Amino acid sequence: MARVILDGMTKRYPGGGALAVDHMDLDIADGEFVCLVGPSGCGKTTALRMIAGLEDITSGEVRIGDRVVNDLPPRDRDIAMVFQSYALYPHMTVFDNMAFGLQLRKTPKDEIDRAVREAARILDLERFLDRKPGALSGGQRQRVALGRAIVREPSAFLMDEPLSNLDAKLRVATRAEIARLHQRLEATMIYVTHDQVEAMTMGDRIAVINEGVLQQAGTPKEMYSTPSNRFVAGFIGSPSMNFVDLKTDGETKDATLIAGSTEVRLDDKQAAMLQGHGGRTVILGFRPEHLSVGKPEGPGLTMTALIDVIEFLGNDELIHGVSDDRDVVAIVTSLNGLKVGDQVALSAPPTALYFFDPDTNLAITPG
Amino acid sequence: MSTASAVATPAASKQRTLRFPQWIRRGRPVLNIVLAVIAIFWLVPTIGLVIISLRPESLFGQSGWWTALTAPAQLTISNYQALFGQGFAAGGLLDSLVTSALITIPTTILVTVLASLSAYSLVFGRWRGRTVVLLLIVGLLVVPIQVALIPVSQLYKAFGSVTGFNPFGTIPGVIIFHVAFGLPFGIFLMRNFYMGIPKDLLEAGRIDGAGEWKLFRRVVLPLGLPAAASLAIFQFIWVWNDLLVALVFLASNPHQTLTLFLYGQTRFFASNYWIISTGAMISVLPPLIVFLSFQRYFVRGVLAGAVK
Repeated sequence: MARVILDGMTKRYPGGGALAVDHMDLDIADGEFVCLVGPSGCGKTTALRMIAGLEDITSGEVRIGDRVVNDLPPRDRDIAMVFQSYALYPHMTVFDNMAFGLQLRKTPKDEIDRAVREAARILDLERFLDRKPGALSGGQRQRVALGRAIVREPSAFLMDEPLSNLDAKLRVATRAEIARLHQRLEATMIYVTHDQVEAMTMGDRIAVINEGVLQQAGTPKEMYSTPSNRFVAGFIGSPSMNFVDLKTDGETKDATLIAGSTEVRLDDKQAAMLQGHGGRTVILGFRPEHLSVGKPEGPGLTMTALIDVIEFLGNDELIHGVSDDRDVVAIVTSLNGLKVGDQVALSAPPTALYFFDPDTNLAITPG
Repeated sequence: MSTASAVATPAASKQRTLRFPQWIRRGRPVLNIVLAVIAIFWLVPTIGLVIISLRPESLFGQSGWWTALTAPAQLTISNYQALFGQGFAAGGLLDSLVTSALITIPTTILVTVLASLSAYSLVFGRWRGRTVVLLLIVGLLVVPIQVALIPVSQLYKAFGSVTGFNPFGTIPGVIIFHVAFGLPFGIFLMRNFYMGIPKDLLEAGRIDGAGEWKLFRRVVLPLGLPAAASLAIFQFIWVWNDLLVALVFLASNPHQTLTLFLYGQTRFFASNYWIISTGAMISVLPPLIVFLSFQRYFVRGVLAGAVK
């Protein structure tokens, strides 16, 4: 097990192409489970492949344990990788698929046998050891791919969207299985996914990447409650955060920002925070799940919206509404009895409001 | 390539079964009869050859081979006895059988091994100019063999005057020529097959700790077995049946290939039909054995890449 450090890791494809990964800094502790998450094409898989040694590093450093591994081939990096396609060797049995890495390292036969059977036991694959991958279901193949990684007892596990080929039910089950595996092995794991729910539920820490740039890294809770910029705010959380442009007047006492039917009464702390932005536009962000129906007194957000679509979720319902030509999404309790076409008043407390600078897209924070 | 891609992309793993439309299925008996007639039509010359080789030489000018169908008593194995009776004397049938094998087997092995290695490098290597090399190889496919006969024999002589070993007229000389002309097609065939092997498999192998040689030996070669078997069959049959190259390069050698031996039995008048028919029968057997023993790979190899 080892610490993995990315220090200004950069990838530029030859021929003056765009930066696929741009000066990425990330310190992954020994035994930590880190999810790299971002939209497709953001460079998260490239970053993982650079750590694995499958892509050259243009500049910067990757350190695994206490070694700089930039110029080491994959086999000398002491890592294991689980591929999106599983990449099992179709001509080998499940046993041989898992044993292959150990065989290449000239591990004694009885030790290989012990390691493979142990992994097969953990992953419930004992009955399939003599089968070829072609005779297995998707979920079983997936477990063989995991097994192949764990028998090697590597310094770090790299996983590239390992669940994306599974159906929804199996995905949830395997998600839990990987989380359990992580607890059991106490191994460093770097997990790439485009699914923020997967990232939130599995990762000790999440690193959000967009256009090759690491946007923010932190615990799921930090990412959710204190996003550092507008991209992270919009990416983490489902459904996404609502955004509204507002003009500030720079007042501190009883400050109110108005855009159409949207009104924000700032509390004192927020007013002080926004003072530097007096007279300029700021972006207001608020999460659908923090909205509720009604118009309370006191500071906070109020707005009215015309209901477009209602998605019934059971206890809650997801409301798509239009407020001053802007789409707004809210999750509210289904006890309100709302109907499509209703004009509804929505509100959110001041603690649920986020402000972003429209020029830099960075969060505006006190101090 | 069905197995490898099936594992890499589970969506493609469902085998499609061939199902004929209704009107063809209803006409199945008619179809079978037509096919049977065509098969018999194709078999007639072969059956004729078998019978001629089993009739005494004296009957050849007197009656057609088909008379043996009603008078099977005339059949005899005396022709075979006579040919095998000569033993391994130079210029005899058994000697030429050995010569053909000495040329064909090394050529087939060399072409299959070298083509597999070259294709691996062309598909999975990471060196500049791969595309140019591939285009050159594809270009070589259209070079007819006749064009090279004289230049190569001169090269052989030049090589001989420098090193003291002139491959012209020797078995190694013929092998080198056949290997050189077999490789472009071999590389092309293997390359196309390897293109279908998912790159993920090699990357998984690299991470598992395999170097290039281990990747080739343990991952690519086993997956490419159907293509390699097809190539070996093609190559064996081509070289076994070759007359032209042997005629040019081996004419001066006392040991002759089977094709040369058979060719030597033709005359303007009264060719040795009993030797030709019997020798031809014997010469058919080795390719047939090779084909049957690799057949299960051959079918898979020919279909390679047909169904994604």
